[in-house]
Amino acid sequence: MASTTQCLASLARLSLSTPARPTVCSTIPKFLVPSVATAQVRHASGGGGGGMRKKPVKKKKAYKAYRSYDLAPMEQFTLCDAMRYLRAAEVGHPPTTIKYDLAVKVRTHKSGPVLRSAIRLPFPVKTDTRIGVICPEGSALATEAQQLGAVAVGEESLFEAIRRGEIAFNKLICHTDSQEALKQAQVARILGPKGLMPNPKRGTITSDLKATMQDLIGADEYRERTGVVRMAVGQLGFTPRMLADNIKALMSKLMDNINQLDDNMPKAIDEVVLSTTHGPGISLNGEFAPTDDKIKPEHLATVM
Amino acid sequence: MVGVIRRLHKLKSTLLDIKCGPGAAIFPSDVTRIHLEFAYGLAGHLGPRKFWRNNLPRLKFWNPAIPMVINRTKDVSGPAVLSVYFREPGSTLQELQTPSSSFHGFAKAPQPAEGERVLTIDMKNLESDKILEELLTKSGAVPVRPSPQEEADMAELRDLRQIGEVDRERVKRKTDAEKREKRLIAQAQSEAAAIRAAL
Repeated sequence: MASTTQCLASLARLSLSTPARPTVCSTIPKFLVPSVATAQVRHASGGGGGGMRKKPVKKKKAYKAYRSYDLAPMEQFTLCDAMRYLRAAEVGHPPTTIKYDLAVKVRTHKSGPVLRSAIRLPFPVKTDTRIGVICPEGSALATEAQQLGAVAVGEESLFEAIRRGEIAFNKLICHTDSQEALKQAQVARILGPKGLMPNPKRGTITSDLKATMQDLIGADEYRERTGVVRMAVGQLGFTPRMLADNIKALMSKLMDNINQLDDNMPKAIDEVVLSTTHGPGISLNGEFAPTDDKIKPEHLATVM
Repeated sequence: MVGVIRRLHKLKSTLLDIKCGPGAAIFPSDVTRIHLEFAYGLAGHLGPRKFWRNNLPRLKFWNPAIPMVINRTKDVSGPAVLSVYFREPGSTLQELQTPSSSFHGFAKAPQPAEGERVLTIDMKNLESDKILEELLTKSGAVPVRPSPQEEADMAELRDLRQIGEVDRERVKRKTDAEKREKRLIAQAQSEAAAIRAAL
């Protein structure tokens, strides 16, 4: 290897007509340039010997945790006050298409486990869950799954459909009897990116189809991304009480998640922000009642 | 999440915009509900849409208990009507059946219940501020003046916007100069390469 470099370098030297400044000749491949340049004519640089020395590039500090801010200047609102603003911002929109979204900022390290689970809210936000079930073809389990409302049931036939791209479901679970078949079916590459691949850690490989399906039907998944858990917690038509119940359920579930985690990777809830599809994000202070004494929670429960 | 201060400035201006401005008014207590019907499209229906976008949120903020329902249709030749429902003096109303807003024409204006009367305003070809003016005078709504605190906040945000504009100009000058320099260097380099290739 060294010999060829030398050879090329000498060739290059022959072909170069010394230019005024050392310029990179277009005939030489880029990766050879440093050795050529050092072997070439040296030029004195101005006075002082400083020359075109590059400034050392400052290394950016890599933060281990997501940045968290001082919340003192942030204006925070009670739930009813926030709803009053948000309902005003969304006036005239069909109430079933507009959702209340909750963003929970978590004080956490960038590495390590993330908060990820599913929750069945007291008042479900969406009802369009379609479940696929992988279980032995034609077995009693298959009929049970169909009776429970699965849209796609089977083993090899289901894998074939997945490979063809016919995915009629947005949730997929697998019975433990079909676990081996699933492993050999090589569909993880298709299902994985869609987040559909059954996995015992997420409780989607199960021996109790009924319980799992019931969990999935009412359950909405959430996960922490870049230190924030975001989830739809209500429809615009919900009353303040309904929304409060949903938010409470989500927050207590998140606290459970946090308490179950390793002590080495501490997490804490930093800020809770409520917004709607088109509305502003309003930071909540954890209280419920409206601050304006002329407004009552019932006033925020009228038809939108 | 975006930093607190940046978020706060944006939030403050959005919330102030919902709270103060044309449309900030409180209806008398006998207004029971409001219904708007207009179409997608421009011919005659632009004003109603602007009214909905710009003024209705403020009315909703100050009258959160009054249902304000919108029915949007696809028929531009159809009517654009604002109906205000009043409780007749001395009558008590049963639970009102009001449809939810619809973008597909499913929320027709409800018939007035017993002990209720309707006032309609033809919004077609009317500009949004004219619609608002007519609504406020005909319904007897009382405009809400911004409080001293809110006025101070608005002034502060206005100043902030001005400072922002100055800064934006300065940064733009700087980035433009940088871009120009980069472009000139690239041009010189490509010319030099062309000369070298020609040799």
